[in-house]
Amino acid sequence: MPDWKPEIRRRLSGLSLAPTREAEIVEELAQHLDDRYEELLRGGATEEEARRAALVELAESDLLAEELRRVERAVEQNPVVPGATKRRTNVFADFWQDARYAVRVLLKNPGFTAVAVVALALGIGANSAIFSVVNTVLLRPLPYKDPERLVTVWEENAKAGFPRDTPAVANYIDWRDQNQVFEGMAAIADQSFNLTGVGEPERLTGRLVSASLFPLLGVEPQLGRAFLPQEDAPGANKVVVIGHGLWQRRFGGDPKIVGRQINLNGENHEVVGVMPAHFQFPDPKDEVWAPIAFTQQQAANRGSHYLQVVARMKPNVSVGQAQAEMTAIAARLRQQYPEQNADLGATVVPLQEHLVGDIRPALLVLLGAVGFVLLVACANVANLLLARAAVRQKEIAVRIALGASRLRLVRQFLTESVLLAALGGAVGLLLAVWGVGLLKTFIPENISQVRSIALDARVLGFTLLVSLLTGLVFGLAPALQASKFNLNETLKEGGRDSAQGSRGNRVRAALVVAEVAVSLVLLIGAGLLMNSFMRLRSVDPGFSADNLLTMSVVLPRNKYPDSQRRAAFYDEMVSRVEALPGVKSAAVTNWIPLVRQGDSTGFSIEGRPDPAPGEGRRNVVVTRAVHPHYFRAMGIQLLQGRALDERDRADAPNVAVISETMARRHFPGEDPLGKRITPGDATSTNPDDWVTIVGVARDVRQVELAAEPKPQMYVPYAQGWSIFAPRYLLVSTSVEPMSLASAVRGAVWSIDRDQPVSDVRTMEEVLSASLARQRFSTLLLGVFGSVALLLAAVGIYGVMSYSVAQRTHEIGVRMALGAQRGDVLKLAVGQGLKLILVGVGIGLVAAFALTRVMESLLFGISATDPLTFVAIPVVLVFAGLLASFVPARRATKVDPMIALRYE
Amino acid sequence: MFDRELKKGSAELMILSLVEARPRHGYEISKLIETRSEGVVRFNVASLYPLLYRLEQRGWIKGRWVEEGQRRRRFYRLTPEGRKVLAAQRHTWREFVEAINRITGAEHA
Repeated sequence: MPDWKPEIRRRLSGLSLAPTREAEIVEELAQHLDDRYEELLRGGATEEEARRAALVELAESDLLAEELRRVERAVEQNPVVPGATKRRTNVFADFWQDARYAVRVLLKNPGFTAVAVVALALGIGANSAIFSVVNTVLLRPLPYKDPERLVTVWEENAKAGFPRDTPAVANYIDWRDQNQVFEGMAAIADQSFNLTGVGEPERLTGRLVSASLFPLLGVEPQLGRAFLPQEDAPGANKVVVIGHGLWQRRFGGDPKIVGRQINLNGENHEVVGVMPAHFQFPDPKDEVWAPIAFTQQQAANRGSHYLQVVARMKPNVSVGQAQAEMTAIAARLRQQYPEQNADLGATVVPLQEHLVGDIRPALLVLLGAVGFVLLVACANVANLLLARAAVRQKEIAVRIALGASRLRLVRQFLTESVLLAALGGAVGLLLAVWGVGLLKTFIPENISQVRSIALDARVLGFTLLVSLLTGLVFGLAPALQASKFNLNETLKEGGRDSAQGSRGNRVRAALVVAEVAVSLVLLIGAGLLMNSFMRLRSVDPGFSADNLLTMSVVLPRNKYPDSQRRAAFYDEMVSRVEALPGVKSAAVTNWIPLVRQGDSTGFSIEGRPDPAPGEGRRNVVVTRAVHPHYFRAMGIQLLQGRALDERDRADAPNVAVISETMARRHFPGEDPLGKRITPGDATSTNPDDWVTIVGVARDVRQVELAAEPKPQMYVPYAQGWSIFAPRYLLVSTSVEPMSLASAVRGAVWSIDRDQPVSDVRTMEEVLSASLARQRFSTLLLGVFGSVALLLAAVGIYGVMSYSVAQRTHEIGVRMALGAQRGDVLKLAVGQGLKLILVGVGIGLVAAFALTRVMESLLFGISATDPLTFVAIPVVLVFAGLLASFVPARRATKVDPMIALRYE
Repeated sequence: MFDRELKKGSAELMILSLVEARPRHGYEISKLIETRSEGVVRFNVASLYPLLYRLEQRGWIKGRWVEEGQRRRRFYRLTPEGRKVLAAQRHTWREFVEAINRITGAEHA
């Protein structure tokens, strides 16, 4: 008798079984082969024949090992067996088996897998990208200590149209000293610094701050220290804290910078600290902080409102409590100072909310929109899966026949769809990485933290969660359908490819209807934004932005302390710049339009009494102190009277040009020319206090394009308007404006080589930057709408193709009975059209309800703009028809003979 | 692929049925399957024993070494749990076969 054991052992060698177990198996199998061998010999075989035949029992070399590996593995395997529900199941092992099976299935259908993964990746990637922006801007806590306790406090003057106004110093001091809810309060004021003495002069943006600001935020300088309380007083040593960027850029990261003197605004300041690289407050552009050091005169001022106030709430104090306290204090101050504080309240706004600003609604709308895109992608993939489930009937039939439970089948199908979603999520994450980079360039720069937008653990978690949910959502319909599978029906319907029956078609049709509806909502949203963006772009700003160069030239006060010297500098600058070739005209102004900043002044009209205290405010006018060439350089049209000109010197009578809105509002039915107004005391008889109106100019959108112009006034800066110091140079050119930038800078430096020139931009750029927020949301929603439209079209195409394929036989019969191609086309396209129209109907209702949330993003049209609500559905129906036309045409090509033989 | 699963699924049913009346060893089981199916179904060592081990692992059958003079053989018997499974499988199988019969019968009618 041959010894079988070595042969058997050889085949088991790869299994690393326990030695006793292996011995048992070897013995048992050897016994079997002995029996077989003996039987063969008894049947008349030779020893050699019997030996060979017995060895055949071990079959192909690895089958035994493979089969045993499955069985002998510690985890129990799930067999495809009848009565499966009766036994204990191992969830993990089942899952593992399902997952491996799913991988095989997906690999076998690369086309299907690719289409599904791309659709899902688009949806998931868009979600992750937008979520990472939302996460950074809205969710991630600010980089200060206990940031949820930080708030900003504002004066509230709703009557005058300022719900959040910058507080006056005396009010801030009263708030600070009287409240019980805040641990500390700090004041901040804008200040720019001209840095000289180290290479090229540079204008730096910075802030004057209370010494308490840094401890209040809970941040420490990286080098040196923050301000001492005694440094926050008039007459104290001049000290500054500088930003990390400035330290690196201008001082080469000098480790001995602390203690060094630097020249700012013509005065020496000692650098006492350097902030860390990640620090920004309040604006990313700020690089210098100096003590605010109120003088006694400033500390008593309630008329000049220019501070920003930050406060830290005591632990366990809510924003509501803080607000109540501030309201009470403001009420006391109203009684105490009825003249200055007549209409003033106080508003507490969490710092995060303040910094996020008005991008919040746009981001939330976009987040909703990408959610919709993902839904459309899900519907699409669900449709693909349903179509494929039809092909897999045979597999399902066998498994059910062999007793696989419904739950088990559902789980198998869900595993497949979750795997698909995970693949989509992985590719989507790559898309998101790329998309976030792209998004960063579109987000309006003034949103803080834009630079720090990145994919972090939370975004990854979000993506994972979304992918899993996605897999469950789109996998559920096909899985449930498969589980309701009726064995008898399937087998009865035989080989014909219609076993899903009418119920399957209904589900698929419903999915297409949903896709169309969701896409319509998105497209209408995109349409509304696009429409308002175009309206916004076509708003006439009142000036000509073509060939206009702007830059900031701010004179330091201590070098040019009085308005004569300043005026002399500006006059000289304008004439030197105008002498440059290519320059048509030049001018200066305190603010250029559309930078969302500006100055205004109260005024009284001669012969009209001021309102009594508490009876409302004085008239307010947006004021620009300008060089006489302003109107020429800006291309502002004059409607009446004259522009400012060279006659309007310091010693000439005070004059002003007013805007048409000011003329209409304050001088209705009168000729404003020759009327006199005063920014000061209305009872004054000194002619120097009065300003004569000499002209009326067209309205200019000074603050932003979307805002209706307010009353405006232009005065010559030479006539004592020193509070409105000019800071911008405007150059109107006959050539490409940027090409003159360095020549203009040279002209400025030819007067004062220490004078910084900064922020050089064309007016077109200013205009475009002012629309950054609108461009951002319009562009993105447009992209999302288009993706949804594309996906919906693919969905319609898929359903129509399937339906045409299913009805080949019916179409063949119809054609055999004399139906023309046109009839067949009508039949097929009609079916698609029906789905599209139902979807459009539902989508219109949904859009009507949903686009209202976008109201604050719109300009010049209502959220239910009829044109958009008509035009977009037409586009969608057209796209849908196109998508169903292609398969419909295929239907007309059916050869009746072949179709009938197909039986 | 489904042929293999079909065979596997029904094989378990066959094995359980064969050890229902009395304990049998592997070679006996394979002979019985071959002879009773008149040669239509045949299992070799590589496919039979893994199945036996699997059924044993699930607790449906139980193997025991029995000395027979010089050598010993492993006999498998049906456990109480295996008895329940067998009943359920028989029932399902019968339904399936009847369904198939109805269909194939209808096709000829």
